Amino acid sequence: MRAAGVAAAAVLAALALYLPARAGEAFVTDQGGNAVTVVDLATRKTVATIPVGGKPAGIAMTLDGARAYVTSPSAQMVSTIDTATRRVIGHFAAPGGPLGIAVAPDGRTIYVADWYGTDVLAIDPESGQVRARITVGRSPSGLAVTRDGRTLVVADRLSDAVSIVDLPSGHERARVTVGAHPFGITLDPAGGRAYTADVESDSVSAVDVAAGRLVGTVKVGKRPYVVALDGARGYVTNELASTVTAFDLATLTPVATIHVGDYPEGIEAGPDGRFLYVVNWDSDDLSVIDAASLSVVATLPLGDSPRSFGTFIRR
Amino acid sequence: MMTRRRALAATTWLAGGLAAVLGAGTRPARAHGPTRQKLVLSVVVDATPDKVWAVIGNFHDLSWVPAVAKVEGPGGNDPNTAKRTVYLKSGGVWHDEELSDYDAREHTYGTFLPHVDVKVLPVADFSSHLDVTAEDGGKSKVAWHTAFYRGYPNNNPPPDLNEAAAIKAVTAICQPALDGLKARFAGHS
Repeated sequence: MRAAGVAAAAVLAALALYLPARAGEAFVTDQGGNAVTVVDLATRKTVATIPVGGKPAGIAMTLDGARAYVTSPSAQMVSTIDTATRRVIGHFAAPGGPLGIAVAPDGRTIYVADWYGTDVLAIDPESGQVRARITVGRSPSGLAVTRDGRTLVVADRLSDAVSIVDLPSGHERARVTVGAHPFGITLDPAGGRAYTADVESDSVSAVDVAAGRLVGTVKVGKRPYVVALDGARGYVTNELASTVTAFDLATLTPVATIHVGDYPEGIEAGPDGRFLYVVNWDSDDLSVIDAASLSVVATLPLGDSPRSFGTFIRR
Repeated sequence: MMTRRRALAATTWLAGGLAAVLGAGTRPARAHGPTRQKLVLSVVVDATPDKVWAVIGNFHDLSWVPAVAKVEGPGGNDPNTAKRTVYLKSGGVWHDEELSDYDAREHTYGTFLPHVDVKVLPVADFSSHLDVTAEDGGKSKVAWHTAFYRGYPNNNPPPDLNEAAAIKAVTAICQPALDGLKARFAGHS
């Protein structure tokens, strides 16, 4: 029996090597619908709708895809979603205006920005206890943590700057002036550069994280919100233009303008990098962009006023 | 509506770049709340899209909106240059409302209002799209899509500057205009 069990396990392990990687799922915060819609990216179908109160907007997915943390600005709380069972398994309080959120690579610390203030809270997701209060610029919006867990970058919307914060000390090592009103901020996998979408200057700023300086700026469409990366290229949602601008990361020049749904906000590359997923707030749908052809290949319905501000793809 | 906007790409992209160049550093820092409101009001009128567009399709003509007394501004219907100042019959006024995109063939235009006094309209970051689409029987659907934040930028808004107040104020301008269009074309098909 024991030998048979070991053999079966070996067969299963071998099979797993040959099975295709999971195509992933999109967890979309429907701010108007008070829900999170889960879309299977292989079948391109909605597979679950999870009720989440308080006008959910921001989201952070753990690297292993096991948990999603969702901010609800109207309820001043963060909800913890078990992505496998698709259930809310806990809440914790986040005072002020919780919108931007990020999770440490080990999943043990959540960073939540107070939109109304100048603080980022470091919270233990198990106990809900605030471990540290990190002071940054005015109206901190988007957040991201490097894969080594040692650096937090913050888009300080009303300070027109990026704060670069050492972890775990919470010391702001550098503040870099970028375009006007940076909202979303996205790190490359190595943590070398951070890219902000500068809402009021219609630009994307590229920041060298280690050096703490501005590398360059890309002119993009009207009212950019969030940047996604897929290796060689960046993509930014232009809210008032209802487009995505694709740009070259090496030369920082635009390469294409792609028409998507109306008022695009959240954007992220899928697990295999072949597609980008764009959450359209006004048209209540998800645009699927083929990264090779730089065109929309599918449009999928979502809930009311979806945003997904943050990392929302479960890998 | 999404497909209708696709035709507008090149112009809006250029307009965005130009606005960024011209406007860099000149805009005051603005704050708003974290939850944007979406309000879509629509009406079916007894006239073709061309006939409706002839009434509502000029960015500088809001004579079909009962709340508006007068509109002034340069640039015609060119998104690169058009701006309008809107005078309300109530005495309120807002300036520098931009034309974000315009397509007469598709019967659609979009607007963006960077700043308005909350005593005039209790909103922030107000944008809109007017869309006219054909319906069966020679009729049209006029849809007025609006997006805005409440007038109070910080936590715990007073009642006259909360989300409900913003929605009420926008509805009070848009709904009578749409009702007026319906009445205007009633029995004229």
